[in-house]
Amino acid sequence: MTVLKTSMRNFFAHKGRMALSAVAVLLSVAFVCGTLVFTDTMNTTFDKLFATTASDVTVAPRTAKSDDTPQNGKPESLPASTVQQVTKADGVKSAEGAVSSMNVTVVDRDNKNMGASGGAPTIAGNWTRNDLRSMEITSGHAPRGPTELMVDADTAEKHHLELGDELRTISVTGDFTAKIVGIATFKVTNPGAAVVYFDTPTAQRELLGATDRFTQVYVNAATGVSDTQLKRNVAQTLDGTYKIQTAKENADENREGVDSFMGVIKYAMLGFAGIAFLVGIFLIINTFSMLVAQRTREIGLMRAVGSSRGQVNRSVLVEATLLGVVGSILGVGAGVGIAIGLMKLMSAAGMNLSTDDLTIKATTPIAGVLLGVVVTVLAAYLPARRAGKVSPMAALRDAGTPADGKAGLVRGLIGLVLTGAGGFALYTAGTADKASEGSLMLAAGVVLTLIGFVVIGPLLAGGVVRVLSAVLLRGFGPVGRMAERNALRNPRRTGATGAALMIGLALVACLSVVGSSMVASATSELDKSVGADFIVQGNQRIVPQAEKAMQDSPGLAHVTRYKELLATLTSPDGKKDDSGVTAADPTYAQDLRRVTTAGTLTAAYGKDAMSVGSDYAKAHGVHVGDTIDVAFKGGETAKLKVAAITDDDSALDQGARYISIETMRKYVPADQIPPNTIMFAKAEAGQSEQAYAALKKSLHDYPQYQVRDQTDYKQELKDQIGQLLNMVYGLLALAIIVAVLGVVNTLALSVVERTREIGLMRAIGLSRRQLRRMIRMESVVIALFGALLGLGLGMGWGATAQKLLALEGLKVLEIPWPTIIAVFVGSAFVGLLAALIPAFRAGRMNVLNAIATD
Amino acid sequence: MTSAVTITRHGGTGGRTAVAARARQVVKAYGSGETRVVALDHVDVDIARGQFTAIMGPSGSGKSTLMHCLAGLDTVTSGQIHLDETEITGLKDKKLTQLRRDRIGFIFQAFNLLPTLNALENITLPMDIAGRKPDKAWLGRVVDTVGLSERLKHRPTQLSGGQQQRVAVARALAARPEIIFGDEPTGNLDSRAGAEVLSFLRRSVDELGQTIVMVTHDPVAASYADRVLYLADGRIVDEMYKPTAEAVLDRMKDFDARGRTS
Repeated sequence: MTVLKTSMRNFFAHKGRMALSAVAVLLSVAFVCGTLVFTDTMNTTFDKLFATTASDVTVAPRTAKSDDTPQNGKPESLPASTVQQVTKADGVKSAEGAVSSMNVTVVDRDNKNMGASGGAPTIAGNWTRNDLRSMEITSGHAPRGPTELMVDADTAEKHHLELGDELRTISVTGDFTAKIVGIATFKVTNPGAAVVYFDTPTAQRELLGATDRFTQVYVNAATGVSDTQLKRNVAQTLDGTYKIQTAKENADENREGVDSFMGVIKYAMLGFAGIAFLVGIFLIINTFSMLVAQRTREIGLMRAVGSSRGQVNRSVLVEATLLGVVGSILGVGAGVGIAIGLMKLMSAAGMNLSTDDLTIKATTPIAGVLLGVVVTVLAAYLPARRAGKVSPMAALRDAGTPADGKAGLVRGLIGLVLTGAGGFALYTAGTADKASEGSLMLAAGVVLTLIGFVVIGPLLAGGVVRVLSAVLLRGFGPVGRMAERNALRNPRRTGATGAALMIGLALVACLSVVGSSMVASATSELDKSVGADFIVQGNQRIVPQAEKAMQDSPGLAHVTRYKELLATLTSPDGKKDDSGVTAADPTYAQDLRRVTTAGTLTAAYGKDAMSVGSDYAKAHGVHVGDTIDVAFKGGETAKLKVAAITDDDSALDQGARYISIETMRKYVPADQIPPNTIMFAKAEAGQSEQAYAALKKSLHDYPQYQVRDQTDYKQELKDQIGQLLNMVYGLLALAIIVAVLGVVNTLALSVVERTREIGLMRAIGLSRRQLRRMIRMESVVIALFGALLGLGLGMGWGATAQKLLALEGLKVLEIPWPTIIAVFVGSAFVGLLAALIPAFRAGRMNVLNAIATD
Repeated sequence: MTSAVTITRHGGTGGRTAVAARARQVVKAYGSGETRVVALDHVDVDIARGQFTAIMGPSGSGKSTLMHCLAGLDTVTSGQIHLDETEITGLKDKKLTQLRRDRIGFIFQAFNLLPTLNALENITLPMDIAGRKPDKAWLGRVVDTVGLSERLKHRPTQLSGGQQQRVAVARALAARPEIIFGDEPTGNLDSRAGAEVLSFLRRSVDELGQTIVMVTHDPVAASYADRVLYLADGRIVDEMYKPTAEAVLDRMKDFDARGRTS
């Protein structure tokens, strides 16, 4: 009981000193809880949506999947007669044919894309009674006839659409313009899909190109018939070529895609929260170490009057538990705030999320508090053990701080061994032959060197701080010297404080190296092998009308079509491989200069010829002149002669098998030919600028496709990678903020610890300004120490990752020096910033109180 | 009103006055109203230049407060304090800091040295802070007198308590301050180490002409001084020239007895 009492008193007596540790716990827990609440809320939103949209039973073509489009760009469909067949089944109350296509783009008069920018699909279909489950018409009426359509209210609102406005729907069957006659509002939250409705004949004609087909049949059960019973009944009336799902099965299938996507988000964010926790551990260790050090005499007295080691140990752990509980509970609250903030952010980015769906599962606060408390207590364990070891004699010794924690030989050895093992693992990863083997080694190397650096950090602190000080603090005379000595006096503390910063910055450095190497590699690959002047692609495959617009564009020497076909290859050794083939115009050989290990690429575009990749050739013993059976999906099986083997040591089109468009036409019926995945063009000599402008103009009606020349393409690539990196940096900011709090914490506690020293210095004439400068410089040196270690380590990781990924095409190592230097200089400023409050407080310290003897 | 202004105000050679520091009507009070505590009650005092002055008194008599006020470490409630010709009452922190740095030396009871600096660095610290070069010859003489030339590169933790205090004295002397204030400089030392430090202070007055003011409650320590001031309840109640330990002790017993009977 007394243990608890003293712990409580200590905790509340030092709540100021605990504040920053609590904030660190709070932030990490908040991030975890925020992630959980956010993803749970997203799931709730999707669950509600999918639950309302599905009919009791849905009948669809067997091969149809909700998330991918078949190769010809039209959704899989079933004959209209299926509806009549289904109606005959027992227990069917109603059945209606539906048309729905996600392979469309809807634009307004100004050719602005109505679809969401962030991955949510545009869905076009016919307005059915089933849609009334999830939507209601809130303005105008349902579409009737070939010139009318209805749009969902969210899209209408986002793009300021009104009744009477015209929208153009672009699909593989052509362009189609209709007038808005109705606006329908979702009864539940629709996260972002743009939805347009036509009447049934219009939808069939414009989306499927056939008036006697549907994409699915919605079946509803008569009263008293369960979904599963209905499914069985329906199945009896149909042959086996259909996929029949109950509402639940349908919702589950829809959920799969969302789940895997949400899973990635969830675990990525939890990963970053984990890093923040890791950094927070250093802060907590430092706090408790310093509290224990400051309390050495007190602890000695407790021991002298009879407290056991265990009791002292426990009293510290009880304090840690209190800290963990307080920090975590606040963190759970903040986490809900973060989740709401994320939802707002997503809304700003074009997603519809409603706080009505806010889902806080019981496990979320439990997980948050448990995690926060366990981590805090674990972090406090070492200091607690040290407190337990304080001898009763400490009570009798002179006051003041105990002997400085010396970085020992054992620590050095362990650190060296770990770092050495990590370095070896990294070296092995860098020289690995297979990416899969290397990546394990890379992971091991990263973890080992990180731990190694953390262990060895206090030893490195000595040397690194001396060098930094010699360079930076030389001009500051005795104040600089004292700052250096202060940073050096407790290497363990400086090491731990620096290590916290090191972790975040190492990741920043590593990712920036990999990111810029990606850009540099792609750029050099583009320079080396891409001959095309212009590249056209988008998130919808290139519809024929856009293809035609491109071919009609003036000033182009050639236009290359590029189609990806589903096909099964049977090599001479009898092995099957179903990764498909690429059909392109022969000019593609100029657009992308592939190195061949045998044969010539142009020959592969000859009649009944093809090329294969070197890896495939090697695996199946394929040589030029061999024949491969290619079974085209929806077409015939062709016997194609291998005319070229392309070198797979390439970042672009690795492993692709090429055939010509003409060869494809011979074996694949016209209605099964897919739209182009991507298209290339080359300008006539000396006309590239005019041709570029003309091409952009020609494709102006199709905003879903981006037209880029090589310069823009590279820039786009750079921007995309830059954006991705910025997002990751944003997430790492949390860890870095916690690390900065750690620097503030260390300084603030050091200032408290050095009260008498500061008083003495002030008494003998150190001015406030000099004192503040001294603390700021100490902070800068600690921050730069962390930055130097972190950046060095991170660059090492990044370079190793590049070496490893060179096998996958990441051939050029580029160290982004401007970023690295900016981070280093930024760290100095972070150091200054961190010292602001501690320096201010030290300056305000009363000299007399500081020197008063007890 | 209490007074210890007994020294004639000239007599020194050159431009300097014979008084190194003087206090006039100094009041130091804490709190207000009912809880008001007066630590110094209209104190007048002159500190003679080139002399060793000891301030004695029982706990709570205000002796430390007086020293802190004279040294510019603490502010007064009313009254004036001059250091030489400079009035330090009313000076801003910046000026006071400079004044302490350039014109005053300190020796505290404990914790006089920065643990991160070695003995020599500690000695030259005030001059380093001021950005002044120490006078080599003088520094050598001070270090020799203190007998530390062998231990200049040692860190404070590697020195004994007496050695540490001698370093503190050397630091106070090295910058040639106008006046050195000692707050129980031997309070934490055994008698032998204490004697060492005290005789060194004595010699710095005799040989180097240093002015020293020391707060102490130890009659033996006080006996090294030229003059002893007695404080009680924030007033100067007595003084003694050329004290001996026995005389000081007797005087104190006397006060004690009086305090008890009154």
